[in-house]
Amino acid sequence: MTRRYKAAFSLLLFVLPALVLYLIFLIIPMLQGSYYSFTDWNGLNKTYDFVGIRNFVEALRDDRNFRTAIWFTAKYVFFAVVFQNVVALLLAMLIESRKRAKGLFRTIFFMPNMLSVIISTFMWVFVFSKVLPALSEHAAFKFLDLSWLGDPSVSFWSILLVSLWGGVGTLMLIYMSAIQGIPQHLKEAAIIDGATPFHMLRYITLPLIAHALTICIFLTLNSSFKVYDLIYALTGGGPGRGTQPITMNIFEEAFQGNNRYGYASAKAIILFLIIFVITMIQVTVMKKREVEA
Amino acid sequence: MSRRLYSALAWLVLALLAVYFLFPIYMAIVNSFKTEGEVYSSVLGLPATFRFDNYMEAFKKANMLHSGLNTIIVTVTGIVGIVVCSSLAGYKLSRTRGRLSNWIFMLFVASMLIPFQTIMVTLTKMARNLGLQGSPFGLGVVCAGLGVSMAIFLYHGFVKGIPRELDESASMDGCGEWKGFFLIIFPLLVPITFTIIVLNLLWLWNDFLLPVLLLNDYRKYTLVLTINMFFGKYSRDWALILASLILSSIPIVVIFAFFQRWVIQGITDGAVKG
Repeated sequence: MTRRYKAAFSLLLFVLPALVLYLIFLIIPMLQGSYYSFTDWNGLNKTYDFVGIRNFVEALRDDRNFRTAIWFTAKYVFFAVVFQNVVALLLAMLIESRKRAKGLFRTIFFMPNMLSVIISTFMWVFVFSKVLPALSEHAAFKFLDLSWLGDPSVSFWSILLVSLWGGVGTLMLIYMSAIQGIPQHLKEAAIIDGATPFHMLRYITLPLIAHALTICIFLTLNSSFKVYDLIYALTGGGPGRGTQPITMNIFEEAFQGNNRYGYASAKAIILFLIIFVITMIQVTVMKKREVEA
Repeated sequence: MSRRLYSALAWLVLALLAVYFLFPIYMAIVNSFKTEGEVYSSVLGLPATFRFDNYMEAFKKANMLHSGLNTIIVTVTGIVGIVVCSSLAGYKLSRTRGRLSNWIFMLFVASMLIPFQTIMVTLTKMARNLGLQGSPFGLGVVCAGLGVSMAIFLYHGFVKGIPRELDESASMDGCGEWKGFFLIIFPLLVPITFTIIVLNLLWLWNDFLLPVLLLNDYRKYTLVLTINMFFGKYSRDWALILASLILSSIPIVVIFAFFQRWVIQGITDGAVKG
């Protein structure tokens, strides 16, 4: 009995420094945030009232900006997840099938991951506002003459172009290591049986890297729902609120003039629940398929 | 014939994608050497002469030395905190069986889905109450709190590969548990520690939203915040802006070049063990 207590005590001592930091800066703010989401606190006053679920009802029923932001984020997440994973997988397969220059290509496609999103997106602002207009003056590049950052229906694709640029590096590395793990004799057997590249992909590669697909789709879902820096630096959510994601809507509600802490917290909880439910469904469904394969 | 066609196609696609990836960086570097007038008259061409004036000016005007120092304080504080706390916790949680240990581990892992926006308001308030707002050191401490769960997860997986006999031999030789950890276990954790350092370095060095909330005096700004302010201030002077973007990216690229092996190792290991 005393031995068990001693073991538990020693466990707690080792865990204590991490646990204290973690409780103070993550768990307690999370619980406080959940609490404030049921109040009308403005972040400054000492007093506030308990308003039940009124914040949640207002956000989902009456707040047009928030609904637009949810719709924008949903569209963005869908395209970002699909594009990033397709391109990362394509790159991983192409690079792995090369005999030469593997390291060079890996470095080129991973490079954006080193840079700060803010800093590299400012480079893209330069490209969109100065370089592409100059290019489009040449007849061959006439099609580049677009309002890349000024028209929400165009800048949606500009945002995706930059997110693809910054997002594929990590995914590509994960896919590459999964592809390296496919037993060589399976590939050889398939080639001898006359499999086309498409058959190889469908019946050999994809089923055998299913675990990497689960992880990469989880990572991209998670990061795309939380997108902020990129859009902040590229369009600032504008023009108007034309490209405003949920995260920016929350930030605006909490800090920029509105100062509705309680209401912003309710929106933040909604975002958390959306991410939680969707990623849980994704992981459960995809894990099941892994076992079958 | 189809194999050669396939191979040619593969090179073509790789080359096109490489152009897409290098294009903005190439454009930024080339134009950072031009004069302001040159940027407007010929964006696409090469500069008439390679002059470093923009770099000198950006270095001075953006106060790079100072904000670089602030960034180093944030990064070092955060990383030391994360490595010390998480190695202890990850090791012990991995070695201890039982409900308490599982429960604590799950508590750490569960947080990875929490969006920063869900806690930002109350976290800022917490940091202010603890006197951590407004200083790079305080920001580093807060970051350590946010970063421990990921690092514990990685340490937890890595420790499984270290034989238990080593712990036992240490305790038989009369080492206390803590002394044994620092003398015998920690040196064995060096590879995963490198990975954790580099991953957190990329995060801390480049982080934006948390520093915005916690550092409200421009003298305390990190590099990214300074560049953000600089961008707003000189948004018409692209040559100067681009020089500042390149200049502030150099340190992290150099560090990364040295540690590339561990990053690639870490990203793939972390993903596969998850």
